[in-house]
Amino acid sequence: MAHVKVVRRSMRPEEWTDLRFVWLQRGVYREKLEITGLEIRDARQVAENEYVYDDEAWRPLNKGDLYFTPDGTAFIRGHATIPASLKGQDIYFQLKTAAEMIVKVNGVYVGGVDPNRDRILLNPYINSDELDIEIEAYNRSKPDDERNPDTLAVRGCRQVFEGAYLATVRDNVQSLVYDYILLMDIAHCEYFNEDYRKFLFVELSRALDLVDFDTWEGIDDAARYVEERIYQNDDFKGSGDVALVGHSHLDIAYYWRRIHAVQKNARTILIQLRLMDKYPEFRYTHTQAYTYETLEKYYPELFAELKEKIASGQFEPVGSMYVEPDCNVPSAESLTRQFLYGQHYFRRAFGKTLDNAWLPDVFGNSWILPQIMKKSGVDYFVSNKMSTWNDTNRFPHNNFKWKGIDGSEVYACVPPTHFITWNMPSQIQENWEAYQDKETGGATLSMFGYGDGGSGATEEMLEMVRRFPKVSVMPKVEMTGGAEFLHKNLKDNPALETWDGELYLEMHRGTFTTKSDIKKANRTLEFKLREAELLCALDALCGAAYPSDALRDCWKKLLLNQFHDILPGSHIHPVYEDAMADYAETDSKLNSLFKGGERWFNSLNFTREGLAFIEDADGPVVRHGKRGYWAMPKLEGLTAGGAEPLKGKADWLRCQADGNGLQIETPYYSLRMNADGSFASLEDKELDRQWIKPGCGFNKMHLYADYPGTYDAWDILPNYKDVEHSLDVKAAAHLTAHDDVSAEFTVDFATDKSSWKMVIRLFADSRAIEVEHVVDWHEKHRLVKVNFGPDILTRELVCDTSAGYVRRDLTKNTTWQQARFEVCHHKWFDMSEAGAGVAVINEGKYGVGLEGDEVSLSLLRATIRPDVTSDMGHHDFCYVILPHAGDAIQAKVNQLAYEYNVPLTKADAAVPAMLRGMLNDCGLYLQSLKLSEDGEQLIIRLSEQNGARGKLRLPMTVKLLNLLEDEEGQTDVVAYRPFEMITLGIALSALK
Amino acid sequence: MKDYIEKVLGPRLQGDGGWVEFVSQEGETVELIFRGECSKCGILDRCCGWMEQMILKNLGQQVKIRAIRRKPYFQDNK
Repeated sequence: MAHVKVVRRSMRPEEWTDLRFVWLQRGVYREKLEITGLEIRDARQVAENEYVYDDEAWRPLNKGDLYFTPDGTAFIRGHATIPASLKGQDIYFQLKTAAEMIVKVNGVYVGGVDPNRDRILLNPYINSDELDIEIEAYNRSKPDDERNPDTLAVRGCRQVFEGAYLATVRDNVQSLVYDYILLMDIAHCEYFNEDYRKFLFVELSRALDLVDFDTWEGIDDAARYVEERIYQNDDFKGSGDVALVGHSHLDIAYYWRRIHAVQKNARTILIQLRLMDKYPEFRYTHTQAYTYETLEKYYPELFAELKEKIASGQFEPVGSMYVEPDCNVPSAESLTRQFLYGQHYFRRAFGKTLDNAWLPDVFGNSWILPQIMKKSGVDYFVSNKMSTWNDTNRFPHNNFKWKGIDGSEVYACVPPTHFITWNMPSQIQENWEAYQDKETGGATLSMFGYGDGGSGATEEMLEMVRRFPKVSVMPKVEMTGGAEFLHKNLKDNPALETWDGELYLEMHRGTFTTKSDIKKANRTLEFKLREAELLCALDALCGAAYPSDALRDCWKKLLLNQFHDILPGSHIHPVYEDAMADYAETDSKLNSLFKGGERWFNSLNFTREGLAFIEDADGPVVRHGKRGYWAMPKLEGLTAGGAEPLKGKADWLRCQADGNGLQIETPYYSLRMNADGSFASLEDKELDRQWIKPGCGFNKMHLYADYPGTYDAWDILPNYKDVEHSLDVKAAAHLTAHDDVSAEFTVDFATDKSSWKMVIRLFADSRAIEVEHVVDWHEKHRLVKVNFGPDILTRELVCDTSAGYVRRDLTKNTTWQQARFEVCHHKWFDMSEAGAGVAVINEGKYGVGLEGDEVSLSLLRATIRPDVTSDMGHHDFCYVILPHAGDAIQAKVNQLAYEYNVPLTKADAAVPAMLRGMLNDCGLYLQSLKLSEDGEQLIIRLSEQNGARGKLRLPMTVKLLNLLEDEEGQTDVVAYRPFEMITLGIALSALK
Repeated sequence: MKDYIEKVLGPRLQGDGGWVEFVSQEGETVELIFRGECSKCGILDRCCGWMEQMILKNLGQQVKIRAIRRKPYFQDNK
C-alpha cells in the first residue's frame, strides 16, 4: 500500500494572523522626515576615549551610503529643524542601525540606538526647534547577543546607512503591536496551555479583522477586542512565581577590547536612565565597580545623573566586585581584592556596601569563594551557567545555600535560564518550568535585558511587564531589584537545600589552559604584587612613604585582566595583546617599587627548604632563557640572607645509555628514562619503592586532536583522547649538562610545524625533579598534556585551590565524576597513599585531567576561535615532580609550591622581631601583608591551608578585620578553623 | 602589499574578530585568505571594497581582491 504524506500548502489561519502582525508593525510610524546634510568622520579607537581619525575632513553621509570600517568608530553630526507639522507632538529621533550609537542633541545625552531599539523620544530633553545632532557610533559587527536573531541579520563591518529621521508614532498602533508581541509569543509557545493557545489564535485573528491596514482605521476597535476577549478572560489558569530583574550583562573584553567597553557601558547606562524617565516602575541592576569607575571618569554628566537614579532606588549597583572575574584561576588574594576594591568603590561613590556577588556568566566557581564573600560583606551569590550550560548533569538547585571549603555559607541563586532574555512570556514560563526549588526556594529569578552593548532593557520589555498581570496563563510576575529578590526569597529561608562543594561548570574546561602566557603572567604578578606590598609595607614601618596609589593601580590592572573572557583566554587577538601589554606595564611598575639590596629576602613566613634558582649572568645553568645557579638557602621566614650556590657532590650521577633509553643513578633515584623523556622506572632509594605503575606513562607527553566545536577556546571535550598525533622524538633523551649540583637531560620533539624541547633536571641534593619545556608552537586544533601514572593506590587527587586543597574523585562511577574529567587546580596536585605520594608543582598551569589511574597536566592548546592565533609562538614553562614520604601535608607540598612560585628578592628588608615571632611557622600562610587602604594600619592576612584547626597566640592585642578591612573585634588569641582566612590589623603607631 | 595588508589592515579586521593573510598578487588581482569572523561574514565583499579603497589611497595601486574564505572547522559543512 502506498503512503502519501499529506502536506497542507494553503495558508493556515495562524499564518494569516502572523502575516497581518507584520503588517501591523509597519503602521507604528505616522510620519518620518529624513534629516539631510549629515556628515561622518571615520575613526579607530586606540585608547579609552582616544581615537585616530581616518581622514581630517568630515564627509557627507546620505541614505544608501556605506558607513563604518573594520574596528571602526564613526562620528556623525548634523542639524535639523522641527517642522511646523510635527510641533505639539511627541517627536522621535529615528535611526535603524546595526551599530551602537550614543546620541546627543543640543549637547544633551538624549539616548541611544542600536539593533534592539531605533528611536529616541526628544521632547523631555529638548526645548528648541533647532537640533544639533552629535552621534558617537561603534560598529556592532560582533557576535554578541547571538541569542537575539534580529541582531544576527545585521552583522558586518560595513553597513548601509538607512537614514536618520524625525518621526512621530501612532501610539495606538504601537500599543497594539506590544499586545500582539506578548500574545503571539504565548500562542506560539508550547509551554503554555494548548487550549489557551488555540483560543488566542482565534481571537487574535478576529481582532485583526477589525483593522484596515491601508488607513489604520479600526486599531482602537481591535485593542478593545483584545482587552475584552483576551485580557478579561480568566477561564485559563497559569501557575508560578517569577521575579523579573532588569540587567545587562557586559563583557569588558571579548569580541571587543576593554577600551570599547567604556562606550558600551555608557550607552547601556544612558539607555536605562532614559527608560527610567519614561517607566518610573523600572528597576535595573548593573555590576562591576570598574564600569562605574570608567563612567565617572569619561562621562561625568551621565555619572551625575546615574547617582540620582541610584539614590532613588531605580538603578541598583550589584555584584560587589571590581569586575566579574573568572572564578577558577585567580588566587584567593585576587578574589579578595576584587571585593575589596569593588566594595570600597561602591562605598566612596554611592555610600553603599553591597551584599551580593553577581556573576551570571562565569565558568564555574571555586570552593574558596563563599568564605571570601562572607568576609567581604556578601551574603548572596548569583551565577547562571551551571543550570543552563552543564553538559552532563542537571545542577539540582536554583535557590539554595552554598557551603564553602571552610564551612562558610552564603545564599546562592543559580537561575534556571539564561541571563540575557528579552522578557518574553515564553522565556518566563520556561524559567518557571525549569525551576527546581518551586516548593522551597520562593520565587525564581529571571533576568531580562540584552547584554554586551545590547544595552539592557527596551521599551518593549517594560511594556510586557505592564501587560503580564492581564494574562491569566502567565505565572505571577514581579519586577524587582536584585537585592530585594535575594532578601525576599532566600534570606532566613529554612527550607533551602545546601550544596557543599565547588560549583563546577560541566563545560568550558579548556579555559584552565587556553592562552598559556596570560595565565603564567597572572600567576607571576599575583605573587609579585604580594612581594611588592610586603616590602613596601616593611619600608613604611621604617618611615618610608607607602606607594598605595601605585600598588592599587597595579592590583586593579591585574584584576581587570582577570575578567572572565580575558584570563580564561576566550577573546579576540587584540584583547590578548592588551592583556600582555598590561602585564608588562604592571611588571615594570612593580620593579620600580623594589629598592634592591645586598641580601636575598624570604617573604614567606616559614623557613625555605627547597631549591631556589638564582639569576646570575655567570651562573652555569640556563633556565627560562636566563643564566643562574641553584641554591638551597635555609632562610628563615621574613629574613634576608645569602643564597650561595649549592656545593653539591662529586660523582653523584651515573648515566648510561642503554638500548633506547638511559639508566640514571642519583643519590635519590634509580631512574630508567625512555627516549621521549618519560620514566619507565623510578626506584626511590630513600623510600625503597618504585614510583611508576607498569603500563602507565609518567612524564609522558601526549599530543591530541582537539576539536571542541563552536566553543573552541572554551571547551575540552571528553573525546579529546580519541585521536592522538605523534610528537616525534628528534633527539632522544641525552645528558646535556652536568656538574656537582644538577644534571640536565634533554629531549627534542618536533611535528612538521613545531619544535618542543624538554629538559629534565635531576639534583644531587634534592628529591625534586624539574622539567622545563621550551616550545616553538605553531599547531592548530591540538592539546598537549603530560601524563603521570604513579604506582599509588588512591581514588583521590588532592588539588591546591590557592587557599586550601580540594580532594577530587579519580573514580568514574557516577556521571558527576565522569563529567569532571578536566578540572582546575592551582600550584600543585598530589596523589598519595598511606606513607608516600607524588606531587606535581607548577608555575602557571591550571588544567588537570583525571583519567583513573593517571592524571594529566594540560600544557598547551591551539584554538582558533575567537583568536585564530591563540597560543602560537614561544613558550617556556616548568614544573616539578616531587615524590615524597607521607601525604601532601606531611611532605609540606604546599610550602614547597609557595617557594617554587615566590622567588627570593634582593632586599635588605627588616622585619620587626615581634612580627617575625608572631608570623613565622605559626601554622598559617602569610597571604598578604600591606598597609590598610586608609594607611593607618598594617594589614596581615593569614590563611589556613592544611585543613587544621588551631589558635594563634599573639604578642599584643590586634584588631580582627574582615576582608574589607572593617574592624570586627580585638583579640590577642585568634582561634582559626580549617581553611579559614584571617585578617589582622595593627595600628602603625604600635609598630614604630 | 603583504605588509600593508597584514600589518595595517589586518589589525583592523582583528578588532572585529577577523583575520586576513596575503597569498599572492598577480597584476591587479590580490588574493587573500580570510579567517575567523571574516570567513563567515555575509557582507565580506563590502569589506574587500574598503580594503581596495585603502590600498589605492595609501599604496597608490588599483587592485581587485579575490577573497578565499577559510571557515572554522565547526562551520565548514558545505
